[in-house]
This record gives sequence, structure tokens and C-alpha cells, in this order.
Amino acid sequence: MEKALSVIEEMTCLGIIKAYAIGGGIAATYYIEPILTYDLDIFFIPVQEGLDELAPIYDFARKCGYVEEAEAIIIEGFPVQFIPAYNNLVREAVAEAITVKYRDIEVKLVRAEYLTAIALQTGRAKDRERALLLLESEAVDRDTLTRILKRHGLLNKLSKLKGKSHDK
Amino acid sequence: MINKSAERVFEKKRQRRRQLAKLPFEKKIEIIVELQRVAASIKNDKRHKVWPI
Repeated sequence: MEKALSVIEEMTCLGIIKAYAIGGGIAATYYIEPILTYDLDIFFIPVQEGLDELAPIYDFARKCGYVEEAEAIIIEGFPVQFIPAYNNLVREAVAEAITVKYRDIEVKLVRAEYLTAIALQTGRAKDRERALLLLESEAVDRDTLTRILKRHGLLNKLSKLKGKSHDK
Repeated sequence: MINKSAERVFEKKRQRRRQLAKLPFEKKIEIIVELQRVAASIKNDKRHKVWPI
């Protein structure tokens, strides 16, 4: 996996993307118990917002000989999904990412509080489950999470989730 | 309402999850790959491949 991660780091150095952070199941797994996932989700800030934000990534991938499969690019055997930062919350999550080590490589990863907020905002069943696991873990700072949720108008989503989990 | 026996079971599960959460990131990735292998052995799913780590 470190080869795939170093390719993503290289893309930042080459200016193909402005910034990135690992999100999704892999980022969640950094904080909680390992969960079954198949994609490496990469939130990124495009160099130029607006038009086809994925085009420079796909151009780079093709030049390197990486193939596309469904909505992912197979980089060194790993399906990588590049997701442009699609709203202010995700943009902030990328900007506030932490640096973590995987073997010999340092990579950017979304903070637990932002992962929880994104999961609450997305709101699918698996996202709600992930948010609950993150909340139950020791990784989420409640004050920081509350501030993020307030800023993005998501506090009610947390109350609803808590309500539902108490019902069970 | 949850009775005390059930609450003890849930608490043990929470403790187990916390223990797993404390594993090194590299070890957790190895566990994900193991989960992928198990899933692949149960269901032949061409869309999802086991990671080559």
C-alpha cells in the first residue's frame, strides 16, 4: 500500500492536486477497529476548481500506466477513488488533515472529528454506523466535533443519531 | 431497557473494539486484507479484489 500512497504524495508534489487527505473506511480504521473496505478514498482539493477536476489525475494515471476500473484508478494494485472536496466541510477536512505514518511513508489523513461530521452529513446506513463507532471510540474530541457540527449546521444530525442509538 | 447481563456483554464488546482500535495502523490494514480474503472465499465477487500487500 505504501507504493500507492507514495504515488498520491507525488501527485501533490507535482501539482496535479493541491492537497489531499485519506478519508472513508481506511481513515476510519486508523481510529477504530478495522472495517471491511475495498477502496482507498482520497479527498482532494483540485488545482483548478470548476471544470473536470478529475482530468489531471486521470491524465497522470494514464501516463503512469494505471488503469481505470469503475470509479477508481488502480494504483499499484489498489483501487483509489479520488473525490474532489465537494463542500466546505470536506474542504475544511482536507485543510485540517493530520500527518500519519504508514510504514516508511507519511500521509495525510482526515481527523476523527471531521470523519464523524462527514459521516453524519452523508447519512447512509453505513455512515451512521461509522459515526457511532467513532463516537464510541476515544478518538473523537467532543468539543471539537460540536464546533465543527455547529459551523456546518449538522448538530441536529448528531442528536438524531444519538436518539436512534438509544432506541436500540 | 437492557438487563445487567446484556449490559455486561455489550460492555465486553465495547472493550474489545477499543483494544482493536489501539492496534498499529499497519496491523489494522493487514486485518482488512484478511477480512477481504475471508469475504472472497465466501462469495466470488469480481468487483472487489483482495489488496496486494
